[in-house]
Amino acid sequence: MKKKLLSVLLATSMVASLAACGSSETATDTTSSETATEETASESDAAESKTAAEGSASSSELVDGKFAETRHITVEVYDRGNDGGSDPTNNMYTKYIQDQMLEQHNVEVEFVKVPRWTEVDEINNLLAAQSAPDICVTYSYATIQTYADMGGVLDLSSYVNDYKDDLTNLWDWLGESNINWDKDPDTGSIWALEARLANQNRINTFIRKDWLDTLGLEEPTTKEEFYNVLVAFKENADTLLGDDADKMVPYSISYDVGWRAATLIESFMDPDITEKEYYINGFDDRKLTETGTKDAIQLLNTWYNEGLLWDDFAVYSSGDTTEDDMMKAGYVGAFTHNWDYPYRNGEDSIEANLKRLVGEDASYIAIDPFEDSNGTHTKWISGPIDRKIFFPVTNDEPLASLLYLDFISDPETIQYLQIGDEGVTHTVADNGAIQIIAAEGDAIQNSGMNIDYTITCNGLHLTDDDLTTLSLAYSYAEVDPELIIRADEIAKTDTREIGNVQVGAIASETGVGEALSSKRDQVYDTAVSAAADAFESTWETGMADYLASGGQAIIDERTTAWEATYGDATELPQN
Amino acid sequence: MFLGKSSEKQSAAKSKTKFSTYMKRYWQLYVLLAIPMIYLVVFKYAPMIYIQIAFKKYSIVQSVWEMPIAANHGFQYFIQAFQNPEFIRALRNTIVLNLLDLCIGFPIPIIFALILNELVFKRFKKAVQTIAYMPHFLSWVIIYGLAIQLFAPTTGLVNQAIEAMGGEAIPFLNDNFHWVWTYVFLGVWQSFGWNSIVYLAAIAGISPELYEAASVDGAGRFSKMWHITLPGIKPTIVILLIMAIGGILGSSFDRPFALQNNLVMNWAQVISTYVYQYGIKGLQFSLTTAVGLFQSVVGVFFLLMANWLSRKLGERGIW
Repeated sequence: MKKKLLSVLLATSMVASLAACGSSETATDTTSSETATEETASESDAAESKTAAEGSASSSELVDGKFAETRHITVEVYDRGNDGGSDPTNNMYTKYIQDQMLEQHNVEVEFVKVPRWTEVDEINNLLAAQSAPDICVTYSYATIQTYADMGGVLDLSSYVNDYKDDLTNLWDWLGESNINWDKDPDTGSIWALEARLANQNRINTFIRKDWLDTLGLEEPTTKEEFYNVLVAFKENADTLLGDDADKMVPYSISYDVGWRAATLIESFMDPDITEKEYYINGFDDRKLTETGTKDAIQLLNTWYNEGLLWDDFAVYSSGDTTEDDMMKAGYVGAFTHNWDYPYRNGEDSIEANLKRLVGEDASYIAIDPFEDSNGTHTKWISGPIDRKIFFPVTNDEPLASLLYLDFISDPETIQYLQIGDEGVTHTVADNGAIQIIAAEGDAIQNSGMNIDYTITCNGLHLTDDDLTTLSLAYSYAEVDPELIIRADEIAKTDTREIGNVQVGAIASETGVGEALSSKRDQVYDTAVSAAADAFESTWETGMADYLASGGQAIIDERTTAWEATYGDATELPQN
Repeated sequence: MFLGKSSEKQSAAKSKTKFSTYMKRYWQLYVLLAIPMIYLVVFKYAPMIYIQIAFKKYSIVQSVWEMPIAANHGFQYFIQAFQNPEFIRALRNTIVLNLLDLCIGFPIPIIFALILNELVFKRFKKAVQTIAYMPHFLSWVIIYGLAIQLFAPTTGLVNQAIEAMGGEAIPFLNDNFHWVWTYVFLGVWQSFGWNSIVYLAAIAGISPELYEAASVDGAGRFSKMWHITLPGIKPTIVILLIMAIGGILGSSFDRPFALQNNLVMNWAQVISTYVYQYGIKGLQFSLTTAVGLFQSVVGVFFLLMANWLSRKLGERGIW
């Protein structure tokens, strides 16, 4: 009897719990999607009436910049998952932001973390589930465009203009150019605001200074000299690495050849290329379809077959640390990467590890060895834009959200978030330079200069410009400031900035970005590692495949769009 | 007439009481049955409502019923998929890799089960079994980690050994042809032990009297295996074969995704990774739902074909 009772109890409880799960899930599912559609409908109505009303008397809701009733907004923040980092949604800096927002605008801020390295996927999921934060940040404009086309993103054009008087910091910091960067030329809609890049440095090539010294070599300044240095490294591997000679990689690239050999690839481009030409081939930011790229890859192919590159580069995928570990262990002679790559991450930087594992002399320095056809070293930099900030339609506090952006663009806020408190996150050197030190616990900055919080700003930006330049060199913990100054100078040599082409959305670009990027990597990787006599055919097949998979359609549509907007002009009109 | 009516009534009442006594006695079983049924409805059938986005222009802000029908009478995305060279390639690769898996991966567990069955030392048999089952519990990401340690072109252990012996490194992971075999081999290695369990169970069900009788007749080991064991597990083999053929166009995601790299993508892109790359990362939900639907329909077709064929050949089908 007892047994029976027990089994009955068990069975019913199981069924009850399962049924409850199931039914509540489906129930909330349908209701949430229903209310969501309702919300968007009522919201767009409200937005219209709001803008209509605000037209005459702006921001009647605010008294001294404050809401009468406390508002609540959610803000995306990247989660970098650093070992021993602070909680990205709850630390010294989030508390500062929350306190200030409540005090200045009576707005409660809640942070929502999104993994940094899969941010696009994650934001997709959140948007699709209608649960994205009120303020979203992403590097992928294509994602925003896709959701905007489906009606999932708020048009910011009227908001930023109607509330202009309440958003002085935002307008001062981003300026006309960054706010209107993504403005559609036909409809005037703005789906996203472009954060400002305070430092437009892009990429550098680095080489082991101590190896050059040991072998009595000069710093290479041309491709040929660079090649000779690589050969010298390889031939003297025994001297340089002793027992580990067979582990030497003279020049290291990764599966992302287009980025990791960008300085070399771009040196094969015509430095006087027209803006039209650049734009038409500009969908792929790794320059796959530019003229000259094939020659660059052929050169890399030659080097690969001579054993000057990392043999296994293509089998390690994104996020793998094998290559960084080789640099840290001192096996890599030269490589190309972000302009300050070996100096990033304080104690865990490549430079600091190298000094610990190899010796005090070991060091990477920036060099500028790839000359172009003019004999200069043209560095192609894009406009001063960085992440893109957008509001999904589920955001029902657009004004409070904009006030947040205004607050986060306040120079004082930026300065505090970047350098923190003296003695905790920085010290002041004798020459006045702000020097970042390794912080502990709550004060740890998970991202360099807290860029994850200063979402409208990337790059050191203090209230005093001279101090900014000086402090930049001191902002890398454990790294000699001279190395930074040098890298900064080289990254700024012969830069050419490409203007903002505003021809509206290109339909053929929708949804193919990820697929084409991975296709491009395949073209590069197979071509670089092909046997010398198979290079030609590998490249041609790869390119044909890339173009057939959507590359050609984009080039054609970009050409048409350019001609529709700018006519016969080959350069952008000067403002 | 009158009598019949009353007997009808009686029998109706009888069946009613029969039903209620039946339910009274067995309701617990039905409650238990309800659990998997609810699971199926909620997680397998309810989501099928969204199959229609294969024929509709997907929008995030509309309910699935409101989305407009796609161009070409709803078949726009099917046409688009078949015009895309990448999809055709993914389709080809899926079929080729699955066929190889079927040809090599299917018989090996059977052979393994037969061999295990012949082992006399119980302890040795158990040890072998445990070792063979173990890879089944490793995730593909870990297996790829092992593979790269062993098979990487220059730093892999196997290639270093080959080079140390004066041979030339084998491009296990970075050449199309070799990669396909690495893929198949790793798949077989991971699953053959686990898949042999079913056959071992089937073998255990064969009556020992048959073997005794065969011994009396002077049959040796191989003839016993051939004439008793194999026919004994034939129904099991056929059913598993039908199911494997039904999955010819299906593919797991984690295995190809973990193992692929840029150098071999021409042979490593399969439908599941294509759907991930274009559909989820490229937000083309309609396109990839169309692909998924196509995959399922072809899968069902193959399943029915195999089932029909096995019944034709005098075996039992799955239903």
